[in-house]
Amino acid sequence: MATNPMHQFSVHRIGPEINIAGVDISFTNASLFMVISASLVAIFLFLGSKEKKIIPSKFQLISEMSYNFVAKMISDTAGSKAKPYFPFIFSLFMFVLLCNMVGMLPYSFTVTSHIIVTLIMALFIFFAVTVIGFMKHGLKYLKIFVPSGVPTLLLPLITIIEIISYLSRPVSLSVRLFANMMAGHTMLKVFGGFVISLGILGGWLPLSFSVALTGLEILVAFLQAYVFAILTCIYLNDALNLHH
Amino acid sequence: MQDYKDFKTRLKIAKSKLKQKDSLNDEKSGSFMGTAFKLGTELVAAVGVGTIIGFILDNWFGTKPWLIIVFFFLGAAAGMLNVIKTANRMQKED
Repeated sequence: MATNPMHQFSVHRIGPEINIAGVDISFTNASLFMVISASLVAIFLFLGSKEKKIIPSKFQLISEMSYNFVAKMISDTAGSKAKPYFPFIFSLFMFVLLCNMVGMLPYSFTVTSHIIVTLIMALFIFFAVTVIGFMKHGLKYLKIFVPSGVPTLLLPLITIIEIISYLSRPVSLSVRLFANMMAGHTMLKVFGGFVISLGILGGWLPLSFSVALTGLEILVAFLQAYVFAILTCIYLNDALNLHH
Repeated sequence: MQDYKDFKTRLKIAKSKLKQKDSLNDEKSGSFMGTAFKLGTELVAAVGVGTIIGFILDNWFGTKPWLIIVFFFLGAAAGMLNVIKTANRMQKED
């Protein structure tokens, strides 16, 4: 059914079925588009850093810009202590950005519109940040659950609330990216369906909406990658520089 | 005199570049939809996490439905805490 707006999100197998210990790890269209996005990042950065000219070529210019953009984001939000984590945040940002952007092409598949993908990334960040916090501060890291200047009577309640707030981080991080991508793509498809069903007389209005929405979606694709990366920086900042 | 003129044009170029950068920053913070979505998910996620914790604890201790009710409200409080924290951070950025 091509007119079903949710059809674009269906995952199907490409090639042979691979089963290892009862777990289905066959190559799907989702894995294909993850490979495409990751290799696009690699090719783009390889081309950008191949020739180191003083007057940069277009590729070199864009790759240097993306480097500077992420480097500035990290130093602004997490300070100089977060410099060692630059490679991780840079690859995370580029991967999410390319996944979102590749998903904007017609007939492609948006990997980040599946909550399992975004949740795994968010959970990895969550556990990594927690481990980094405990490694840097030891048991003192638990202090982030105990804000200073709270009356002793309220302390147990506040601590529970802080713990729930901490645990909600991966959920909000993943749901935000997934919901934005999925809602946008569904909306585009619905308006596209209206163009067909209203025909040549009334189809112009939804068509113009579709064009405007495509622009908006490209903005959202960039913005969500940026938000994903900057929130990682903020969580990292909380783990590196203990405030409370 | 030549040097002075040269310096002036260079200053002009640098200033216009700075202005461009500022307007770029304005555009970034002008995306209100992103901000709204950010706050909304913070609030909802904490309520969801709180409720799930309550549900699991209820199953453990067999105290249905009391802990789920308590943790729902604690989750709502944690959501508001999240929103306050995010809003504070946004204010600091401006």
